[in-house]
Amino acid sequence: MATIGEEEKISHRALKRVVRNPLTYWSLAPLMEIVNLREQSRAYKIWVRYLIWMMRSACSKRKKVIWMSAFTPVELAYAVGAIPILPEIIAALVSYLGWAPPFISIGNSMMSTDVCSFYRCALGLAVEGYLPRPDLIVSSSHLCDGANKFFSYLSQRYACSHLLLDPPYDTGPEAHGYVTDQLRYLLAHMVDLMAVSLSEEELCKVVGLSNTMRKYMVRINRLRMAIPAPFPGSEGLSYLAGMGFCSPGSTWGVRFSAILARELEDRVAKKRGYLDNERYRVLWLHHIRPYYQNDIFQFLSSQGVSVCFEEANYMYWPPFDPTKPLDSLAHKILSNVWAGPLERRLGAVKEMVNNYRVNGVIHFSHWGCRQSCGGASIIGDFLKDQGVPYMILYGDGADPDNYFPGQTRTRLQAFVEMLG
Amino acid sequence: MKVIRHILDQLGRQGGRAESVASVGWTCTYIPIEIVEAAGLTPARILPEPSSEKADAYLDPNFCPYVRACLGKAMDGEYKGLSGIIVANTCDGMRRLYDAWCHYMPPGFAFILDVPRTRSPNAIAYFRGRLQAFVRALEEYFKAEITEDSLRQATEEINRTRRLYQRLIMNHIQGVPGLRYSALLALFSKEWEGPRRLFNDALEEIVRITGQCTQKELFSPRVLVTGSILDGTSIIELIEELGGTIVGVDCCLAERMVQEVPLDGDILNALSESYLGKIPCARMKDTATRAKFLLRQVEKTRAQGLIYGALKFCDPYLYEFPALKEKLQKRDVPILFLEGEYRGRLGGGIRTRVQAFLEMLANFG
Repeated sequence: MATIGEEEKISHRALKRVVRNPLTYWSLAPLMEIVNLREQSRAYKIWVRYLIWMMRSACSKRKKVIWMSAFTPVELAYAVGAIPILPEIIAALVSYLGWAPPFISIGNSMMSTDVCSFYRCALGLAVEGYLPRPDLIVSSSHLCDGANKFFSYLSQRYACSHLLLDPPYDTGPEAHGYVTDQLRYLLAHMVDLMAVSLSEEELCKVVGLSNTMRKYMVRINRLRMAIPAPFPGSEGLSYLAGMGFCSPGSTWGVRFSAILARELEDRVAKKRGYLDNERYRVLWLHHIRPYYQNDIFQFLSSQGVSVCFEEANYMYWPPFDPTKPLDSLAHKILSNVWAGPLERRLGAVKEMVNNYRVNGVIHFSHWGCRQSCGGASIIGDFLKDQGVPYMILYGDGADPDNYFPGQTRTRLQAFVEMLG
Repeated sequence: MKVIRHILDQLGRQGGRAESVASVGWTCTYIPIEIVEAAGLTPARILPEPSSEKADAYLDPNFCPYVRACLGKAMDGEYKGLSGIIVANTCDGMRRLYDAWCHYMPPGFAFILDVPRTRSPNAIAYFRGRLQAFVRALEEYFKAEITEDSLRQATEEINRTRRLYQRLIMNHIQGVPGLRYSALLALFSKEWEGPRRLFNDALEEIVRITGQCTQKELFSPRVLVTGSILDGTSIIELIEELGGTIVGVDCCLAERMVQEVPLDGDILNALSESYLGKIPCARMKDTATRAKFLLRQVEKTRAQGLIYGALKFCDPYLYEFPALKEKLQKRDVPILFLEGEYRGRLGGGIRTRVQAFLEMLANFG
């Protein structure tokens, strides 16, 4: 007779097989269509289909799998016909589904609990073998010091190559040339290491698709300036941002953003807000929110506070020139407002505050995120000078054990009073 | 050692840096101070006393305590005498320190130096370009002239310091009675307090004297220390107090500054290549190079164990640890991981863990 420990091991092994079996996703696809029958947003349904497609393609091994960090241009993966898997995004999904604690706990046993819980969760998932095996790992040191070493460690565990994109702080012509050279090197090595092919035509096509998605995203962002807010920030920080990270350069991204733009056009034309009684409008700073079950957004909604926009979806880069794909991607990388000097981010915050006519700003300070939280006080001072109420909301995006509902609610209550 | 103290006292009496010479604060070993010295300026290392109360209101509580201490002390007016600051774009903490410093207490001169994470030919060329921009910025602000000759001369003098450090560390490893590594660290911190030439002369005397001492085989557990910046010498002193012998300290206060810069060819290129190729900090891409270096050091110094010290919230080191641990444990090197606070004093927990580690090394190492 199997002991409890052995039973657990057996069920884990079985679950891992299920998660990594492409058949799971073949059967999940029609099932999710039925589950989502009552879901009104077609864009959301595309997000679900995209996730299923991504996991199915990665698990079936028909395509090469590249693990990438957030902000690494996924266009490169699509250009070589590979599937980009972003472990941080998977960790957010796992947290959303309420499955994060055991994986975070595994991460905690290997890494300091002071580092980002998304990485700790992703580490647990990787160590336990729940993620589709990578053929290559590509990360970028853009914003986050963790990305470099975290992915380097995973490459050591999976015995596959790790390529690093290292964008500089400066943005002048030398920096531009340096990033373009790195992109060229990355592509050449991706082709070489995975024995895949790449044509200039394909690269231009992928960058063209990314550009089309950008065009729709710009339209979405403009539509979201409407009062009342047509689209909830909680969703902006989940599937909208998720598609923004994973799908640029694919037809999925174009389809998703085109449909969402159409849905929002309809809502705005009918003057339908996502809240019936929008009293105040708030801008959410940082790329993430708590994904596990929490009542932050419900509480704000109950007080008539709409999260009308979130910094995660701010379009910071200029339109691409599809005839110069690498040059265009280098422009995008160097325009990132969260990298480089804080003034750039301040400029973006100011623009969002004005465009979305917000009554207040919440900075979600995720435990373990230095790049964003390090600037939170300066942003606060800047907004104070502009007379905009501001609150730093301390919390954790992936780890529900770091969520304190009472404390969070008290802070939010005080903030809402301040808005009045 | 009394003799070191005596030489240092003498050095102190000979006078610090002339007040007429402007001082520029710097934060990281990836900043080539050769360029600062070639401009006739004093590079003043920013190593604040642990305390950050003031900065706590301006930087997140889960932020590098060294960065918070730098900002706190700057807000206390401790760095009022500096004519400027140079920060390297080495990590998120440093970037935000630069932002906060410039925002709350704008210094006369401020420069953030972009440092690539690899040493590919492109990275070396790019870093050379940034060094050129750094030269131009210093020349413009301080109305100084940095020539190829002055740069070469400054590099030569700093290389002399490095050579002497290497010899001193070697003397220590070979066993000089009464010479502790904590004393070496205290000595290294004097480098920026007076004219370099005088410091080098004093250092040469110390190297000569320690070289003549009777060599003695040491029987206490031999420990190599690696990690992020240390809050003074507390951890080193603790290890020594508990009976360990430090045979090397791979951190930004010590042995990461001892590699020489070759003087042939284009000097800016040599600086770029040397700084990107020096013993790497965890912020660099390549963990394998760091692991190889540490394994080599373990072999060279016959260290029995490694203590890996990371400051709390120091992401490059915290993220690097699992990879490094695996690589070193594969070669049977015992490792102790310590997470510190930059408080200048160590808690009882750390003391107990170090003690247990040393006992383990003494029994089984």
